[in-house]
Amino acid sequence: MDARLRRVNKEIADCKNDKSSRVTIDLVDDNPFHLIGAFDGPEDTPYEGGRFQVDIVIPDNYPFQPVKMKFITKVYHPNVSSASGAICLDILKDAWSPVLTLKSTLISLQSLLCSPEPRDPQDAEVAKHYMTSKSSFEETARYWTMIYAGGPGKDGAGKPGKDGARDEIAMAGLDRAHVDQFESLGFERSKVVRGPLFIQRGDVGSLRGGQIDVLRRMNYRGANVANINDDRVVEELLK
Amino acid sequence: MSQSFPGDSFDVDVSNQPLIAPLTPMLALREEYENGSQFFVKQIDWLINQGWIGFRRTRGDGDCFYRSLAFAYIENILNSSDTMLAATGALSVLEASQPQLESVGFQRLVFEDFYDCLASLINQVINPGPNGQLLNINALLEAFNNPEISNSIVMYLRLLTSAEIKTNPEIAAFLIHPETGEQMDPEGFCNNFVEAVGKEADHVQMNALATALKVNVNVAYLDGHDQEGKVSFVPFQNAPFTFLEPVNLLYRPGHYDILDRRDADPIPPLLV
Repeated sequence: MDARLRRVNKEIADCKNDKSSRVTIDLVDDNPFHLIGAFDGPEDTPYEGGRFQVDIVIPDNYPFQPVKMKFITKVYHPNVSSASGAICLDILKDAWSPVLTLKSTLISLQSLLCSPEPRDPQDAEVAKHYMTSKSSFEETARYWTMIYAGGPGKDGAGKPGKDGARDEIAMAGLDRAHVDQFESLGFERSKVVRGPLFIQRGDVGSLRGGQIDVLRRMNYRGANVANINDDRVVEELLK
Repeated sequence: MSQSFPGDSFDVDVSNQPLIAPLTPMLALREEYENGSQFFVKQIDWLINQGWIGFRRTRGDGDCFYRSLAFAYIENILNSSDTMLAATGALSVLEASQPQLESVGFQRLVFEDFYDCLASLINQVINPGPNGQLLNINALLEAFNNPEISNSIVMYLRLLTSAEIKTNPEIAAFLIHPETGEQMDPEGFCNNFVEAVGKEADHVQMNALATALKVNVNVAYLDGHDQEGKVSFVPFQNAPFTFLEPVNLLYRPGHYDILDRRDADPIPPLLV
């Protein structure tokens, strides 16, 4: 048996024997070099109560090359891409050591959820949100945990409806009042500038989606709101 | 997967160099510097005059100190006048190192394969290996140019170094971040600058490994600094009772090779 397979098999067995960490590693399609890891969101964080899945690919030169990991479960965190699940963590790059195992690396990801490093971000927008307002960031992260990772949500309430409807404003970490404010404003101006288009479409929902997108990208949150001129937002909305 | 990772480009620049090369005459190194720094040429001439007529190149991948030391260490066992004593002595040091690794928190499953690679190669000096043959210089070169074996051995030496740093309180004061100059705790220092693949060794690591492996090491510093062209040898003499000759390494800024008094490898005896 080649050394890589021997090592991976030992690691999988070791993880199965350890029930206390609640870290699991499962094979995808019987391929020992493509795995799915999972761990619990750490306590006292916005990720508490969630279960997070990670896609694991064992490279040819493992364990001398770092294992490739990315989140399958969507995570709202400065060091995780909210779109792709890509992770910014030194041990997955140049600080990798063959003494690390799949389990210890998954536990490091769990620790990363406890201690975000917004100054070395993977997702710049999320990092900006974190730096602007930690409490608002945490609320959004908790909401994502509820929607994607089976978390309890705020005070265990606010579960999405049976139809799975999500609150897009909460998903984007925005203030409802801000979105409403530009909805009326943006709508009016839009009517002036490209009225016929909107009448044709008649789709207020997509306009609202656009606003959320713009406000999210501009980090229209907390103290930062004072730094953003209304005209700039409208300009962005009309792009 | 479309994602790209820095690990993918590991060793790209140097991957056509052998991990460990056959012995080369020192004159070949001299030629490389003839059109460059005359201070280096003078120092190389000094080494040749002192009898250091050959060297063995190691790939410049950040593992060169560990790989050079490992190769020279096993070659010294192989060339020892009493191979039985040398090999069993080395094996008993290694055997005793396993509980030490566990005591500083390394899981057996992460180091046992690395250990087996190193121990079985040394064992093959005195007991025929799976191919029914004893180790010779060609087989040693072949093993060290097999990345899996070679990197496993390098890794075991990194773990020995780490365990020594973590258990030897005298070393603690010397754990300095190489860029910021800040004092580091043993765990952080070892995680970042000992256990990680491709991280260069500095004085602290070299001293710790020489102690852990109970081998004396001399490092010749070919740095172009001496106006008279002398080369200073820095000794790491932490093994007063060893049966082995010291390991001699050749340092050039940022890189280690093996220094030798021979300019070519011996031809292994033909089997009758």
